[in-house]
Amino acid sequence: MRALGKGITRRQFLKGTATGLTTLGFMTSSSLGLATGPPDLAVISGDPSAATRKALEVIGGISRFVKKGHKVVLKPNMSFARPPEGASNTHPEVVATVARACMGAGASRVMVIDHTLARPETCLEASGILKACENIKGVHVLALQHRKFYQEVKVPGAKFLDKVEIAKEALECDVLISLPVAKSHSATGISMGIKGYMGLIYERGPFHYKFDINEALADLATVIKPQLTLLDATRALVSGGPGGPGEVLRPNLVIAGTDPVAVDSFGVTVAPWYGQKFKGRQVEHLLAAFKRGLGTIDVEQLRIFKGAA
Amino acid sequence: MRLPLQITSLSIFTLLFIWATYKLPDWLPVDIFLRLDPLVSFTAILASREIIHRVLWSLLLIGATLMIGRFFCAYGCPMGASIDFLDRFFFQKEKGRGKLKDEKLRKLKFIALVLFFGAAVAGVALAYFLDPIALLTRFYTFFLYPLVITLLNLFLDLLRPLFKALGLVRLSHFYYPQPFFYMSLITFLIFSAVIAFNYFAPRFWCRYLCPLGALLSLISPLGLLKRRVTERCNQCLQCQRACPMGAIPEDPRKTRLPECIQCRSCQEVCPKDAVRFRPRTSTPLAFPGEEGYLPTSLSRRELFFSSAGGLAVAFLTDRTPFTPLHGKYHLVRPPGAIPEAQFLSTCIRCGECMKACPTNTLQPCFWQSGLAGLWTPRMELRLAGCEQSCHVCGKVCPTQAIRSLSLEEKNHAKVGTAVIYKEKCLVWAQDKLCLVCDEICPYNAIVFRTIEGYRRPVVIASRCNGCGYCELKCPVQGDSAIVVVPSGQIRLKEGSYVSEAKRLALEFKPDPGDDKYILEQSGLKVKDGPGDVPKSFPPRPAPPQQKAKPQKPKGFL
Repeated sequence: MRALGKGITRRQFLKGTATGLTTLGFMTSSSLGLATGPPDLAVISGDPSAATRKALEVIGGISRFVKKGHKVVLKPNMSFARPPEGASNTHPEVVATVARACMGAGASRVMVIDHTLARPETCLEASGILKACENIKGVHVLALQHRKFYQEVKVPGAKFLDKVEIAKEALECDVLISLPVAKSHSATGISMGIKGYMGLIYERGPFHYKFDINEALADLATVIKPQLTLLDATRALVSGGPGGPGEVLRPNLVIAGTDPVAVDSFGVTVAPWYGQKFKGRQVEHLLAAFKRGLGTIDVEQLRIFKGAA
Repeated sequence: MRLPLQITSLSIFTLLFIWATYKLPDWLPVDIFLRLDPLVSFTAILASREIIHRVLWSLLLIGATLMIGRFFCAYGCPMGASIDFLDRFFFQKEKGRGKLKDEKLRKLKFIALVLFFGAAVAGVALAYFLDPIALLTRFYTFFLYPLVITLLNLFLDLLRPLFKALGLVRLSHFYYPQPFFYMSLITFLIFSAVIAFNYFAPRFWCRYLCPLGALLSLISPLGLLKRRVTERCNQCLQCQRACPMGAIPEDPRKTRLPECIQCRSCQEVCPKDAVRFRPRTSTPLAFPGEEGYLPTSLSRRELFFSSAGGLAVAFLTDRTPFTPLHGKYHLVRPPGAIPEAQFLSTCIRCGECMKACPTNTLQPCFWQSGLAGLWTPRMELRLAGCEQSCHVCGKVCPTQAIRSLSLEEKNHAKVGTAVIYKEKCLVWAQDKLCLVCDEICPYNAIVFRTIEGYRRPVVIASRCNGCGYCELKCPVQGDSAIVVVPSGQIRLKEGSYVSEAKRLALEFKPDPGDDKYILEQSGLKVKDGPGDVPKSFPPRPAPPQQKAKPQKPKGFL
């Protein structure tokens, strides 16, 4: 029946409502996440601090992980004495933003640690991370170089890496957040979250001379389990990694997720490595981790929120 | 006045030593005591046949000694201060120490002095062995410094649980990196001997052995301030007993001027206040025979034999196969070290460079360069690398055996080239996944290149500075699979390393760019297949299940 200026028909009303509700439903699930919970991956574009803030928000807020009084450990890449433009270290603003957020959520202290390859003072300084965090109360940036700060743990269910010395701070903390930078690596293809765990162990040598590095990394990932992985893909060192110098691209993305394999796997797709495009499954150590059941490697199956800061 | 001045002098010496580190500001001359030391300065100038400007400071001390006498020994010398303090500590009770054959012993220091100068005439540096300042600095570097750090760390470790409980994060993770040095035992024993000799007489070293004291005593009698004794003297001989140097002979109105160190002990103990230190102009106080200049000098015979001895020792030191073999044995010197022959005659083996080196790679030679190279600095690269952002060793070298270079110059002062031992390398020999040398190289001189379908590390010699980080970090157990050899080292007596590097087409600044770009620059052709494999490379049979996977970088499937 045609409306004659006296309102709409019942059918039209029902149709309109149905359309409206469906649209609202889609909007809700994709941008507000109210109906289905936080997404598996938050992929936010923008400048480092804004994108990090938004990514934390989207992944459920920092308070999803950090509670009052918690001791937090952040593990960025800061192993090389290169500036932020070199992309071999995590962007200092990303680290500082996460650190600030943790303190804001009531953490008792935040330790930003790495076992650096190059001289610790020069790494902390050149990377800019020491400076970015120095005025944030409760945040301490440290390079842990001496064996006395590590403790040997057994790796149950390891295929190769039966025991390993891990930084005591990482073992004793309440929350571990992995903050890698997206970079290439001349032995493992790429170095992101899982490869970054090597900065929490004392002896890297056996990973080269004793074990297959990819299998050993997967074993390591069974004992180092960060609650949150936030991948800094604002810059990507697509060749010459892990230390550089090499070609640096700017995807300008920050990727957050609770599944370390998924985050890394998505990270593989954001830039061409050594001039070629790859998928997560093509990275040996990620595949090995996936095969141990440590996460999802096929990111197409996941709920991904893509947005801008 | 003496004690406070001695404390001040020793404190300044110690403080300057502590400040000789990587972060040293350019204006702070931490090696000033060595620069003021005329013994090491003059022998270095003589042996190297070069006027070393930096050590001309020692003329100041010569001038001051000419004016005031041998005051340095009493007030300025840190070794003298150490001897006095330790004497008080160990030998306090031995008041009536035996009389020694004083005259004969006194000659020893002059014999040593002539010997060292004789050797220097022959171009060989030997004075370092008994020079008090160099000796003390070596003792500090090789013994005291590691000991103090060990004790500090022990203390911190004991308190660490407390710091942790108090939530003091930075303190609970704080520690000093422990330095390690060879030659520590020998250095300790020599210093202990110097102190132990005091059992026999106070200031045994200064009286009988110190060649620097001998040098100063040659000119100190010309000084204006001389000990004079007035008629009030009652010959009680208190002054004679009190004199640490035994400079007052049977007749206390006389003085052995060369041995007098102006310490004023005699003046302090004199019950009649009969002792004065005055310039010659104050004639009324003069006593007949007041000069009392009893020179302790060598007879012509002794002089001859000492000089001959110096030449003989120089001959024995220098005329060994080590000399013609310079540059032909495994020895990596610090960056900026002058050419070897001159280096050996210029280096005074003080240990300042080794103390200042932030990574602890500088170690004293034992036999690596023969007798002529004892205690000279070399790099132990398997222990530590040479830090790219540091140029302190040249800054602290008093004789500039290691030239003081700007950071850019130092990074162009190539000390050697890294060479990969393919039989030992995990990648070459075992197809393992290692990349540590490539990863750590600060000059980006190591790249991976595809050879027969496998990516292998190679060293681009024109980019390698010899810093040794690769050798340090190579994870192979036992000897490193990548070793820095002295081949390609640049040692310039003068002139710019940057210009020299340019002339030799070397490049020590990594350009941004990926591996392929660098390979092309180096002139190597990146081809897959056995065609361009260098002749020295042993041919490897193709492994059975392989299809060549040249296109994908390592780590990707």
